[in-house]
Amino acid sequence: MNWSKATRRERKEWTFAFLLLTPALFMLVVFVFYPFLKGLWLSVIDKEIARPGVFIGLKNFIKLWNDEIFQRTAQNTILYTIAATILKLGIGMVVALLLNQIIKFKRIIRASMLLPWIVPTVLSTLAWKWMFDPTFSVINFFLFHLGMINKQVSWLGGPVIALTSVIIVNAWRGMPFFAITLLAGLQTINPALYEAAAIDGASGWQRFWNVTWPLLMPVTMVVVLFSVIMTFADFQLVYILTGGGPANSTHLFATYAYQIGIATGKISEGAAASLAMFPFLFLVVIFQLWYIRRGEEVKEKVKRK
Amino acid sequence: MAMVLGRRWKKWLYLYLPLGAILIGTLFPFYWMGLTAFRPDRDLYVPWNKPNFNPFWTLRPTLEHLAFLFKETLFARWLLNTLFIALLSTGISLFCGLLAGYAIARLRFPLAGPLGTWIFVTYLVPPTLLFIPLGEVVRTFHLGDTPWALILTYPTFLIPFCTWLLMGYFRTIPKELEECAQIDGASRLQAMVHIVFPLAVPGILSAGIFAFTLSWNEFLYALVFISSVSHKTVPVGVVSELVRGDTFFWGSLMAGALMGSVPVAFIYSFFVEHYVSALTGAVKG
Amino acid sequence: MGKQKRSEMNRRTFLKTAGVAAGATVLTGIPGILAAQKPPAYPKGTKLHMLQWINFIPDGDKVFVAQAAEFGKQMGVEVVVERIGMNDVRLKVTSSVEAKSGPDIALIPNNLAHLYTEALINVSDVAEAIGKQQGGYYEFAKANAFSGGRWIAVPQFVYSWAWNYREDWFKEEGIAKFPETWDEFRAVGKKLKAKGRPIGQCFGHSENDPNNYLYALIWCFGGMEVEKDGKTVIIDKKGTLEAIKFNTACWKEAFDEGGLTWDDASNNRAFLAGSLSITGNSPSIYIAARTKFPEIYKVMNHAPMPKGPAGRFYQLPSLNAGVFKYSKNQKLAKEFIRWYMDKKQYAEWFHVMDTFAIPPTKEWYNDPVWMKDPKCTVFRDNILDARVIGYAGPPGKKATEVLAKYIVVDMFVKAIQGATPEEALKWGATEMRKIYGA
Repeated sequence: MNWSKATRRERKEWTFAFLLLTPALFMLVVFVFYPFLKGLWLSVIDKEIARPGVFIGLKNFIKLWNDEIFQRTAQNTILYTIAATILKLGIGMVVALLLNQIIKFKRIIRASMLLPWIVPTVLSTLAWKWMFDPTFSVINFFLFHLGMINKQVSWLGGPVIALTSVIIVNAWRGMPFFAITLLAGLQTINPALYEAAAIDGASGWQRFWNVTWPLLMPVTMVVVLFSVIMTFADFQLVYILTGGGPANSTHLFATYAYQIGIATGKISEGAAASLAMFPFLFLVVIFQLWYIRRGEEVKEKVKRK
Repeated sequence: MAMVLGRRWKKWLYLYLPLGAILIGTLFPFYWMGLTAFRPDRDLYVPWNKPNFNPFWTLRPTLEHLAFLFKETLFARWLLNTLFIALLSTGISLFCGLLAGYAIARLRFPLAGPLGTWIFVTYLVPPTLLFIPLGEVVRTFHLGDTPWALILTYPTFLIPFCTWLLMGYFRTIPKELEECAQIDGASRLQAMVHIVFPLAVPGILSAGIFAFTLSWNEFLYALVFISSVSHKTVPVGVVSELVRGDTFFWGSLMAGALMGSVPVAFIYSFFVEHYVSALTGAVKG
Repeated sequence: MGKQKRSEMNRRTFLKTAGVAAGATVLTGIPGILAAQKPPAYPKGTKLHMLQWINFIPDGDKVFVAQAAEFGKQMGVEVVVERIGMNDVRLKVTSSVEAKSGPDIALIPNNLAHLYTEALINVSDVAEAIGKQQGGYYEFAKANAFSGGRWIAVPQFVYSWAWNYREDWFKEEGIAKFPETWDEFRAVGKKLKAKGRPIGQCFGHSENDPNNYLYALIWCFGGMEVEKDGKTVIIDKKGTLEAIKFNTACWKEAFDEGGLTWDDASNNRAFLAGSLSITGNSPSIYIAARTKFPEIYKVMNHAPMPKGPAGRFYQLPSLNAGVFKYSKNQKLAKEFIRWYMDKKQYAEWFHVMDTFAIPPTKEWYNDPVWMKDPKCTVFRDNILDARVIGYAGPPGKKATEVLAKYIVVDMFVKAIQGATPEEALKWGATEMRKIYGA
């Protein structure tokens, strides 16, 4: 399409659209696009704090690629995201199914369930830090009196246990988002479908897999998409709980990038580390958007039939 | 008789028990926050394996941490700041998202398809990359140390989501509605504002709540762009004023955490039904 | 001005005399006003913005802020003191330097002024003046703030540090005094841990505590990171291996195993809760105990670092005031620093800091504040045995990168977690060589 060939009506529409888009585009161009380009530029020069840098191509990325700590970070971030997302999806789904059946005290139960997600991460993470402190941990108290442990457990003290603890806190925080959104999805499913399945003799489990799960797929994909993005780029949680330790076993891209850029003053390397998550995210997003679009196309086809 | 009992028992086993267990797991940290906030220091700093120690309640609750929070720090001020910033940045994001979402979903123009994706992709750009270049932008506009630095930078991660959500919402509204209105003599603008927008209110609410939460929660930009104590937001203020090097004022920290969550939770409890139904609408499309 | 008694002098004339007596460049500030009978040199509405950490000793903050206000009043300007957590100072400084706008002065921790050299102005005139007035600087204090032949920051103070221990438990075990060698240290720890009273030390990714202990441990055993040339990594040449072996053994026998997850604050809490017998820290534990945990306050004491084969060393945090090149108030900033570091103001602040702060100049060694409480006298000697990170090279960018990546700390942690000391050392040396490029 081009301007000269368009009809008067089309031109009017284009102008109108353009006007509507201006506020959003202005904000995004000034506050995201421009800084992003600068960030991109930063990553291909060798800038350190207070001094300008010169163009060095992909050297920063190559250094990162060979950096043992960075490799560990990539591993951690992927593991963290996958594990936390699975937990959140699983528990969130269960909660959504349960909440769907509650009639009494609906409002207060749902609001309570949302709390971990609403509370500023910084603050709730501090509460968890207090709960994990080896000397004062209430969790240790609990387990000790249940007879499950007989000396202190250091929840953030070893590579595996620290990563596990961090994943648990992330799952705790993010589960409500899944639960409430899936709940919304559940409420769009026609109960008649369940009745039909029940009449056909399907058990609860079968009803879930054959009716609920496929119908919820579009919502699930969307929620998973947002969650993966937020989890992958997570910063506050790890920063407060472990600072990336012990021995780099909980570093995520964002925390490591922060450490490089701010603590060592190597701003360009920090920018490169921040950018490093971009390709991963981009792939995940493209895949999911494609999947969602495919779902919509299937729906369209079904509708037309 | 047996059948009725059987059903009730099933309900307990499959519904109330699991839900109760999950609720306890979800809410325990808040109980802990609250307990710590009201526990005197003497009872607070006690190792868990000390004999006769009961961490689950306190026999001598104290208001000293809360008092410290409100008297010695500018907590009340921070609450107001955060509220102000969250409301305004949500407002801006909704405004931008509403218009952009409408344009992409319902108008035909070149690049409409890719534009939607590109707006979404900006959501992927991490704040840890942006904050240094953004500092320069903030300085150019002389926004340093003012709430406007945040009000104008928060939309960077709020607009993509609002746009996307509202786009999905608008797609579910039949196009015929506007066409009818235009046949009746309304301009495009009037059709948009008076016919379509009111139908999208649930979507607007839902996007707004989400944006408000993310905004309330934000930490990095607030830490970098705000300097004076009186301009700080709740997350930054609480952490910077109550964590003094190697002394954490746990009682007041947790009091701050509680007080910092109560307003939001309160607002949520009113809107949660709308939120759910709004998402339902968005999801239907 | 003649020989007026100090008590008769008001602050303004005192400053002027001090300025003249010290032979420093006469500032055009307050003395200048008096001398020339000119109106104040600064336009109305001038704001001086200083970035500071939140003081562990709240009273220190109060005094400093009051002093800043006083200065502002006298100069007819507004002095804004912004206080943030220590960990966040680097973040603010980085973003300010890059955005070329922000505070005029910042209290920069440790050796980081070296990292920001290109962004800081030359403050040699102020630093030298203070040095002359107050008996000269300790080498350690100067090393953190002097680079490329000029002073890039004016040291404000060095943190004190010692082993905090439970005298009462020592008495119970029949231990007469705090161990003076590392072997004794380990033996004492073993005895105490057997009774459920371990030594506690932080091994996490935290600013101060882990580095204070582990860098010093390496030095006590004779190891060091680089040669004097600042390029050749010699961490694996001698001493360090012994330090790692010692620490690993000590960990198992004597340390609280929660230490891997601790941050700077955890050992304070644990000690005050009565879980630890010994922990290395600044006087912040003692000071907190004084008001909140009096039973512990009565039975705790401080002791210096045990001696290793190479002697006794400390790695101490410090704070140094730098003025940024982008500042539009450079002259005013320098005058403010000169003023609050001047004997009268500094003495007031230093006394309130109650042995937590060691002045960078030698004048204060015999100040009565050190004798007030015999349990705290040990702190004043810290600075005599202090070394900068990156020893024996300069505390520059590369040493900072080693510190920021926690290579020294993680080396010890790996050994604790199961690697052989040799493997752990090899890892540390390799990582360091990557950074030093040698």
